Amino acid sequence: MLYLELLIQGLVQGGIYTLIALGLTLVYGLLRILHVAHAALFTLGGYLGVILTNATGSLALAMVLTMLVTGVVGMGVYRVAYQPILDKPPYVALIASIALFIASEEIYRLVFGPYGLSYDAPPLQGVIDLFGSGMYLKQAELLVLAGTGAALIGLHLLSTRTRIGIAWRATVTDPEMAASFGIRTQRVRYLNFFIGSALAAAAGVMVALLNNLVEPTMGSVPSYKALAIIVLGGIGSIRGTLIASLALGVIESFGTIYLGSLLDRDAIAFAFLILVLMWRPQGLLGRT
Amino acid sequence: MTTPMIRPALLGLMLALTAGPALAETAKIGFNAPLTGFAAADGNSARIGAELAVEQANADGGINGQQIELVVYDDQASPKSAVPIANKLIEKDQVVVGVSGSYSGATRAASGVFQAAGVPYIAAYAVHPDITRSGDYVFRTSFVGEVQGRAGAKLIGETLGKKRVVVITLKNDFGQSLAAGFKEKAADYGIEVVAEYEYGIKDRQFGAIVAKVKDDNPDAIYASGYFFTAAPLVSQLRSGGVTVPVIGQEGYDSQKFIEIAQDNAEGIIITTSLDRDSDAAPTRTFIEAFEGKAGFKADMVAASAHTATNVAIEAMRAAGTTDRAAIRDAIAGLTLEASTGTISFNELGEVQKNVQVQVVQDGDWHRHSVISDAELLAPPAE
Repeated sequence: MLYLELLIQGLVQGGIYTLIALGLTLVYGLLRILHVAHAALFTLGGYLGVILTNATGSLALAMVLTMLVTGVVGMGVYRVAYQPILDKPPYVALIASIALFIASEEIYRLVFGPYGLSYDAPPLQGVIDLFGSGMYLKQAELLVLAGTGAALIGLHLLSTRTRIGIAWRATVTDPEMAASFGIRTQRVRYLNFFIGSALAAAAGVMVALLNNLVEPTMGSVPSYKALAIIVLGGIGSIRGTLIASLALGVIESFGTIYLGSLLDRDAIAFAFLILVLMWRPQGLLGRT
Repeated sequence: MTTPMIRPALLGLMLALTAGPALAETAKIGFNAPLTGFAAADGNSARIGAELAVEQANADGGINGQQIELVVYDDQASPKSAVPIANKLIEKDQVVVGVSGSYSGATRAASGVFQAAGVPYIAAYAVHPDITRSGDYVFRTSFVGEVQGRAGAKLIGETLGKKRVVVITLKNDFGQSLAAGFKEKAADYGIEVVAEYEYGIKDRQFGAIVAKVKDDNPDAIYASGYFFTAAPLVSQLRSGGVTVPVIGQEGYDSQKFIEIAQDNAEGIIITTSLDRDSDAAPTRTFIEAFEGKAGFKADMVAASAHTATNVAIEAMRAAGTTDRAAIRDAIAGLTLEASTGTISFNELGEVQKNVQVQVVQDGDWHRHSVISDAELLAPPAE
């Protein structure tokens, strides 16, 4: 019973990790950039979600608007920060990304204030008694699980059933060959940033629902943990990202309880990362 | 362009400005607080509290006719920034007294610099025991964590009569010193600590801990944290089906805690320094003036920074000079009716005062009780 509850809590956390890390994996797969500033878009999503929900009174409307706006901001980040330096070595983009992320935290603090924001009337706070067993799950936690599933199914359909999705996969595999077949790789990149950023924004809104708090620094843990997840999953692999996210969520959940006095949550996550990399240096599903 | 005629005048002005406190027109109090970074919310409250103390004193005519100036620097709650800031306050700004509106790491680093320079330094709300051990020029206006932890044990075991307790500890010097004080006295009040969990300051998701606490089935929970960790923790405990009393400390003490946790905040009890229902004039005036100035309700951090700054002002007034040694002696001998109650200092420079117990009722902090057991609350003396 306790174990089942710990497992479910781990999967909820894993779902959040999945939504954040997917965008990072997509960007790395396409451009070989470690997009640390991705976590800034997660924070932006959290803020927009709270502000728009408070303004419109509708979480659903706020969620859609937040994903659209953050997606477009993500495209802007690519255009302004990455596109001009794509021909430079990868560390140049990494440094730009880290700088952008640090700047974003202070910008959020200046614009939205240091105290963080909360929903006036937090939606989806009702609890569901699972199997009538005294095991409670918040509606917001169900939304995380459902949202993660929906995002994965949506990505799968997009990449297998649509022209732009096939063009996307072709560009990931071999950008030059894809371009020579007439694929507009620039459009594919914009799409990539749009989808990745929109998913991070959704994660931001969901975390805001779980905590009823968005803060300027809420992206600081995801910024490095999402990197650990994509390395763990095998860099650039979507399926690997999913497995690594869920595994990490569950391991942290049990680890907090049974190893908490020795190692804190982040230390448990990184110890797990090191163990896996010793056994499979290419990550869980990475190709050698 | 400076013409040759103006240049000597400028030089004279610069000399006058750097000539030292004896010629300065204002008496300067140095203030370091985290105005950016993760602790910016607390730093901002503290800054407004300190500014309010200075404004109130200046409105009353300043100190012996001299106006007071608060020199504020942002230390980002980082020891690395605090040391150069302490040096700058002492060397460049020539402050008469320093006040820390910052966390333990930064305060502890700066306290050594102030001690070495022989400039009094007052920590408003930093809890690490080593801060006052820097020397006889360093004082503190808030409880060390251990003292507040002991008060928590009395509150749970005696006042509330709860005996099976789960301890949830924020893994930093604040949380760990609270837990140490709590566990030290727990047995004296018949409390059995059934389990203890720790979390990091960046954690906001406590699903796993909630599941385990439910399984432990305690009578009460003693949980340390700041409002931004405690509000999600309390909310998640409540929506996870844990209904037993949750007892916190001054880290919860902010209106923001209630805004975040909303209905889940109701009935949460904390040990702190600010009594919202106090009849004492300094506390009443502070609470009203702070809300007017800041636009939000006063919290423990603001009240502590206000108190610490007032200690500096009163000591400067009592000493009647800007001589640092005289001011240090004045602080050591001071008994002050402050916004956080009647305070004085022991031989180590630790504050002696009552613990205020507050509870959330109808969306506001209110008085629950007061703990005034001088023996239990005796701060460390060496």
